[in-house]
Amino acid sequence: MYLYDQLDQTLINERVEQFRDQTHRYLNGKLTEEQFRPLRLMNGLYIQTHAPMLRVNIPYGLLSSKQLHALAHIAQHYDKGYGHFTTRQNIQFNWPKLEQVPDILAELANVQMHAIQSSGNCIRNITCDPLAGVCADEIEDPRPYCEIIRQWATLHPEFSYLPRKFKFAVSGSPKDRAATQVHDIGLHMKKNEAGQIGFEVLVGGGLGRTPVIGQTIADFIAEEDILSYAEAILRTYNRFGRRDNKYKARIKILVRETGLDKFTQQVNSEWQAIREGSLKLKQEDIQRVKRFFAPLSYQTISNDNALIQDLGNSGSFRQWFIQNTLAHKQSGYQVVFVSLKSPNRAPGDITSEQMSSLAELADQYSFGQLRTTHDQNLALTDVRRADLYPLWQQLSKLDLATANIGTITDMICCPGLDFCSLANASSIDIAQGITDRFSASAIDTGKISLKMSGCMNGCGHHSIGEIGVLGVDKKGEQWYQLTLGGSDSHQSKLGDRLGKAIAKDAVVDAIDDIVQVYKANRVDNEDFANTLQRIGLQPFKDKVYDAD
Amino acid sequence: MTLIKNRQIIDDPWRYLSDEQALKVSHNIIDLAFWNENKHVLSDSGAPLGLLIPADQDLAELASELACFSLIAIHIPTFVDGRAYSLAKLLRERYLYSGEVRAVGDVLPDQAHYLTRVGFDALELTDRPSASLALKKLSELSVYYQPS
Repeated sequence: MYLYDQLDQTLINERVEQFRDQTHRYLNGKLTEEQFRPLRLMNGLYIQTHAPMLRVNIPYGLLSSKQLHALAHIAQHYDKGYGHFTTRQNIQFNWPKLEQVPDILAELANVQMHAIQSSGNCIRNITCDPLAGVCADEIEDPRPYCEIIRQWATLHPEFSYLPRKFKFAVSGSPKDRAATQVHDIGLHMKKNEAGQIGFEVLVGGGLGRTPVIGQTIADFIAEEDILSYAEAILRTYNRFGRRDNKYKARIKILVRETGLDKFTQQVNSEWQAIREGSLKLKQEDIQRVKRFFAPLSYQTISNDNALIQDLGNSGSFRQWFIQNTLAHKQSGYQVVFVSLKSPNRAPGDITSEQMSSLAELADQYSFGQLRTTHDQNLALTDVRRADLYPLWQQLSKLDLATANIGTITDMICCPGLDFCSLANASSIDIAQGITDRFSASAIDTGKISLKMSGCMNGCGHHSIGEIGVLGVDKKGEQWYQLTLGGSDSHQSKLGDRLGKAIAKDAVVDAIDDIVQVYKANRVDNEDFANTLQRIGLQPFKDKVYDAD
Repeated sequence: MTLIKNRQIIDDPWRYLSDEQALKVSHNIIDLAFWNENKHVLSDSGAPLGLLIPADQDLAELASELACFSLIAIHIPTFVDGRAYSLAKLLRERYLYSGEVRAVGDVLPDQAHYLTRVGFDALELTDRPSASLALKKLSELSVYYQPS
């Protein structure tokens, strides 16, 4: 993985001291709340319902065991002993004390981590495919490019007071595992006929109250031009994006109101002026970053006997193997998903003890590295197949081996009303209800993506869930709007509204009805999306609303 | 107001007049409407002239006239409005404007560093303590990633 040099380290150390001074001035009344707000947001600090919330970046979801140990320490010493992984591959701490945040940032800086631009109206963490570098279908490893973009975006002097937040996601495979179509800029790596590496560029995707699927603005931007092209898009957005209404300030609204053709012209005219300038990447600079992501030193493994034997001996292990692991491009190795969707915790939550133990397992079994996924799970991506059984045993002891990846209980869920000051409705207790109802039948039910947000800002990605659940406020009561048929695959799609909102105490039953209709109608191993497409919304509506 | 120019607090030699007096004095910053009404008189006078533009100004409209001005002041309506940063960058890099580029309006000391990096060489701060703080903030970060 990428390692900081002197420049990287100096930059984050100085940023810590800068924020220490800002916090100090705020606490001494020398910065008003209004002035401090964007400054603290640009360093990942929200003021939430109970306490500040600090969001720490995990660039493109790649984490070393040393960094995970540091996060465990921070959770233990500065928070209530746990952290929460987000849909953008970051981690949040929900209970830090404002005056201690500079010290937390200093601890993070010691392990080459930071919270720079993890919130605020600026360029946020660059996310990517959690299987980058290990999946067989990859065209090119996106991580070096994510790192190059991360550096360019970090403390960017021109783009730190944008109309609204700005998110990049990069995918290196034809199968999109990074939800690139619902990002402000989505990049798909590709090669042209000459074998040159580049990107298809999508613009204007996003969730929130106006969910939009991104559109292609350029079919092929060569790797050396990616920063100048991104700068051209950002400059066009910074100049012309709406600032009169924060709900219309994302780039998707600018693209819609300007029209894609005219917006593309504006970007291209800006790009032509800067394309040959200082942002043009030199091949040696790309190669320098690429060397950090060279293939790991895999062993040559000739037989699979140990695994075959283990699979024969234990049904629970077999179930976990099928559900929570994936083939690796290197023979003899396997990708392991660490489920953070145990019945005993809120989705995405992890305790400091689990973090420390998992860091040790990463050292022992997976080259000391971990990934965060946009489904709020973790992954050990480079495990020898012969080690899977002992790893599973240890993960089971840590309550990190719930065999539910991709099933209905592996849901995406925002913190909701319990923590977030924006939320209209709670999501964690609904998640608990779903987990209680479906834990026994989740595997039999098959792959269903359930995504839930506590308000229309959509942090839980409800619009692209096969089953989407959106919390709404109706005269002070919590109600839930269901949608069906959303998708975050390569063909992203927004879900269709099932019908009127449902009372809180009926939501789990309604989801159960939906699952029953699917199970009764599916043919062979047909997945949820195909069944829905074949039979339409009506049978689901009939069951959910007639049952009222 | 306290002015920072080239990383120093200095007395501001410029004033803002957009009435008939403006036709007689040197080192004056006028607004766009006054310029448009009086450009012939003003450009003939030869005295150093400044122009105040809003953050959403279309620079292409001004391209041929930029040489008339020794100073361009960009008005920042609120400190969270980042359009001035792109405008300053374009003035310097696209229009190769080499006169003074001044940030006026709602400018926080904490923004001094980014403002100077995109091309502002003059910053108007609300008072002397803010300006002193802004000077300190200019040297807080010694390294950066972007090439310019």
